[in-house]
Amino acid sequence: MTTLKTIFILLFTVNFIFAGDTPQVIKIKTSAVCGMCKRKIEKNLAYEKGIEDVNLDIPSKILTVSYNPKKTNSATIKKIVNNTGYDADEMAATPEAYEKLSSCCKKELPVHN
Amino acid sequence: MLTRKFSIILFILFSINSIGQSQIFVSGKVSGKNEKGIQTALVGATLRWQNSKSGEITDPDGFFKIKKEADNHQLIISITGYKSDTLMVHSTDFIEVVLKESNTYLDAVTVRGSASVMDKLSPIQTEIITSSALKKAACCNLSESFETNSSVSVSYSDAITGSKQIQLLGLSGNYVQMNTENIPNIRGLNTTFGLNYTPGTWINSIDISKGVGSVINGYEAMTGAINVELVKPESSDKLFINSYLNSQGRAELNVQAADTLSKKWSVALLTHISSQIAKIDGNSDQFLDVPLYKQLNLINRWKYSGEKFATQFGIKYLTENRVGGQISFNPKTDQFTNKSYGFDSDTKRLEVFAKLALLFPSQPYQGLGLIINALNHNNESYFGFKKYTGAEKSIYSNLIYQNIIGNTNHTYKLGSSLLLDNYHEFFIDSVYKRNEVVPGIFAEYIYTFPEKITIMLGNRIDFHNLYGNRMTPRVHFKYDINENSQLRINWGKGWRMPNTVAENFGMFVNSRSVSITEVIKPEESINYGASFSQEYQLYGKKGSLILDFYKTSFQNQLVTDMENAGKVLFYNLKGKSFANSFQAELNYNPAERFDLKLAYRLFDVKNDFTTYNGETVFLAKQFVNKDRLLFNAAYATKWNKWKYDFTWQWNGKRRIPNPAQDHLHTKDSPLFFAPAFSNINAQVTKVYKNWEFYLGGENLGNFKQKNPIMGANDPFGATFDASMVWGPVAGRVIYSGLRWKLSDL
Repeated sequence: MTTLKTIFILLFTVNFIFAGDTPQVIKIKTSAVCGMCKRKIEKNLAYEKGIEDVNLDIPSKILTVSYNPKKTNSATIKKIVNNTGYDADEMAATPEAYEKLSSCCKKELPVHN
Repeated sequence: MLTRKFSIILFILFSINSIGQSQIFVSGKVSGKNEKGIQTALVGATLRWQNSKSGEITDPDGFFKIKKEADNHQLIISITGYKSDTLMVHSTDFIEVVLKESNTYLDAVTVRGSASVMDKLSPIQTEIITSSALKKAACCNLSESFETNSSVSVSYSDAITGSKQIQLLGLSGNYVQMNTENIPNIRGLNTTFGLNYTPGTWINSIDISKGVGSVINGYEAMTGAINVELVKPESSDKLFINSYLNSQGRAELNVQAADTLSKKWSVALLTHISSQIAKIDGNSDQFLDVPLYKQLNLINRWKYSGEKFATQFGIKYLTENRVGGQISFNPKTDQFTNKSYGFDSDTKRLEVFAKLALLFPSQPYQGLGLIINALNHNNESYFGFKKYTGAEKSIYSNLIYQNIIGNTNHTYKLGSSLLLDNYHEFFIDSVYKRNEVVPGIFAEYIYTFPEKITIMLGNRIDFHNLYGNRMTPRVHFKYDINENSQLRINWGKGWRMPNTVAENFGMFVNSRSVSITEVIKPEESINYGASFSQEYQLYGKKGSLILDFYKTSFQNQLVTDMENAGKVLFYNLKGKSFANSFQAELNYNPAERFDLKLAYRLFDVKNDFTTYNGETVFLAKQFVNKDRLLFNAAYATKWNKWKYDFTWQWNGKRRIPNPAQDHLHTKDSPLFFAPAFSNINAQVTKVYKNWEFYLGGENLGNFKQKNPIMGANDPFGATFDASMVWGPVAGRVIYSGLRWKLSDL
């Protein structure tokens, strides 16, 4: 049992070290149209360096990202969105990534479920 | 003034309505929309008015015409595979209905957290273990995949061979049909170690169904069916690597590659090597707690999916060597000597399979499928001085045709199968040969009253060259009490031919004399049961309750009798044998990504034994515990970056054969019991973008059966017995591993 406790404490400590610093928040207009787009963008961003929270509001297509400014910046974040296949404000989606999107995620479609 | 005018209009409208009632028809068109947004006309969709029993169906172009019923405005449109829709119809305008495709896997199923999923549609009680649940318990193959499952448990077979048995409904996994992608896998000689031969990372999901299964897959699913779906070539990562190491010196490496060659072709190569490197003797009895082994396991599979034709084919290869027994045992110098006791087993297995399907794009409910599998399995083993060799050649084929009668509320499957099994076994001084030729035909009909009743009637007849013509009828019934609760009832027959030696390796690592006292006949049983599942909300959070009861009663069974000291006897059941199983499982998700499960299981498993003087005694089956409790808690942080899993199991006391020297069991003999014990497993996983790291422990309470090997100091003496195992032999195990994936090249 003691071994187990030690492991848990150790892991939780590691968990806390990863957090920290005051986050900065940006809002980005994307070309996301559905729930699948939302999941894709959020998941892809969540595992990137310096990202603390992401949320995409489907009706407005606005992506809200809070991040650690020491580890990443808005240009990098937009680039990740582009590489996922979506426009981010003025920056257009990477054509190859956009090609790969399933047909329900194409930007000419209206916002749908 | 206004009201008066209005009532006149109303009056007129109603008069027209009643005058024209018999002639008023509503017509329209039903089409379906798939996830890509493509619309197609749906044939066979059912249209009926709310509270009305009769209805109409759409023609091949999706058109329908239905008589308007007075005061009945709600038109319900339903078809299997699509979400049902209800429309308010107040006019005779042409109606265009577009139904959304329901991805059965996602919509028909309620996700109870990530641990397990219940199939809501199937009339058979089915639980699905998803790949994310499998990752929570990192180690390592199919036998270890049921750790957090309350229905299936893994039992310890003996203290030497490392062979494992699962248990479902109180009976051994031998009575469960174990398939890999609907191809029979763990049967015949593969029963011995087969559970160790499907690596965990190869598994995409596991379906566990309780009670007799569908007749489509054969007659052997006596207590249930487990189907393992392997990772799919078209949806797998390009490259996946998993490595694992535990504190007892077991190492595993899986390397998996997959590629989509074109829109239609995809290919995968899955490889696995593993080994127990270190000699472990935690209890200092001079015997290895776990056998040393080396395993190489490969599968190469190809998939083609066109619009009208789809096929999959592949090849599997396995080779394994394991050595157990005394630490000092060296197979090269000590084989068949009394220098030291050893167990050695070599397995080689080669398998090829092909699946072909003809599809009818305009009639998605229609299909023709063919499955062919051929295998060659060889095993050479010895247990001290007892020598065994086994060879099996088997060919399995199954042809299935599927269609509807009128509409998708009536579906049926028809088909035929051919099984060729050739066994050649040698054990100690006897040869066991069997050549089975089993052509069979089957039919299954499913009636669905949408969202209310499902009835599945199935029957098959098999024409066995050795055991005659046999019928296997099965009935499944599901009643949807409401959206959140289901009741299932089933009844059916099942039978199988046991392989006495291959299925009982654990019975031979002792000084008991082995005798198979008569010609063994097929095992036969009737299984029936009922289950009830209810989803609920508590403090705004979801949960579920599942209750089930099953009874299996045997008309014939292979009885393994260890009741007399110095002997293990195998004979056909004389008298009665049954297994009752009751289970209650409570699930609750107190927060997002937080799952709790509490389950209790009660077994009453008994059969008649024949004593040395010919009497019959009715005893609880040896090594089966009556009570079991399981508690599982799983938590994941946002986006599953950290995953925690904790399982606690308590196993009640169980009857064991009387261990006294020279004991001969009679009606008045006192019964012996092994004590209750509990087991704790836990794991933590940290997920990064392309890789995962996991650390966990098994048997964290470090509970060990004391002296699992009787007479360990004199392995060639009369009291030596390594088969009296009821609990863990090895103690606490700590493990860690890495998973790395590359999605795009």
